[in-house]
Amino acid sequence: MIIDHPLLGPRDAQEFAILGDASLIDRPDWQAEDAAKLFHDYLHLRDNPAGEHRELWFHEQGDRSWLVVTRSTLTHEVLKVELARDVAIARGRDR
Amino acid sequence: MAETPLRARPALDGYNRTVGAVALAEVSGLALVSAAVPQGGDEAFAAALAEGLGASRPATGDSTAGDRHMARILGMQPDQLFILFESPDPDRPAESVLAALGGAAYVTDQTDSWAMLRIAGAGVRSALERICMLDLADEAFPEGRVARTVMEHLAVIILRDGADSFLLMSPRSSARSFLHAVELSVLNLSE
Repeated sequence: MIIDHPLLGPRDAQEFAILGDASLIDRPDWQAEDAAKLFHDYLHLRDNPAGEHRELWFHEQGDRSWLVVTRSTLTHEVLKVELARDVAIARGRDR
Repeated sequence: MAETPLRARPALDGYNRTVGAVALAEVSGLALVSAAVPQGGDEAFAAALAEGLGASRPATGDSTAGDRHMARILGMQPDQLFILFESPDPDRPAESVLAALGGAAYVTDQTDSWAMLRIAGAGVRSALERICMLDLADEAFPEGRVARTVMEHLAVIILRDGADSFLLMSPRSSARSFLHAVELSVLNLSE
């Protein structure tokens, strides 16, 4: 599998390590009234569709950046690659 | 008591060998210092780099030349750069960079952590294409381009420092294995 890194161009998947679903970016507020339930869902509940997944990948043997990779588990096609930092900032995080 | 002077030795004992159209040699005497840019400190860092080393800031994957100490600035990752240079004070390269940048970056000495090999000659791409996953063709990897990658499961920083010349850096602790991998690839060409 080739991941088309937004800064560096196409790189082989063996340079990367996968963390898991990109929803991990949306960490719940630990001071919320229902924090226990929110964290339960955050940690354990995942959609697992046959098809499009958004995942966090780490370019460990490269520029050490975190990426959000959208890929299809049916075709192994990589549909979109974004810097996780850009995704997080777009979702209102400060970095 | 007998005097037992301690002398620093290069990681690969000054290895130097030419096989066919490829020359492979250890590079020693260059200092390597990493510089991390503080959050929100991009403008201050660019100004300090221009003032202290006469260099512009390279994008990730690119490098720029400074006009002092034969410096080359390598864009390793967003917010982190490596500075390769001839240190005026070889025992304290980080202090030299700190003096040049005036605290606009967090600096760490990397000098003795990396073994450096220069591979050069007309056959250089043939030797590297057997162990390096990156596309090293002129369009994809022009002079000055730099990348961190893996060769034979070992971490490598590769810098194209000439038309037919590449500087390879790999962790010193596995430098012998790395040399073996590259040397074998060069030898395979001549068979």
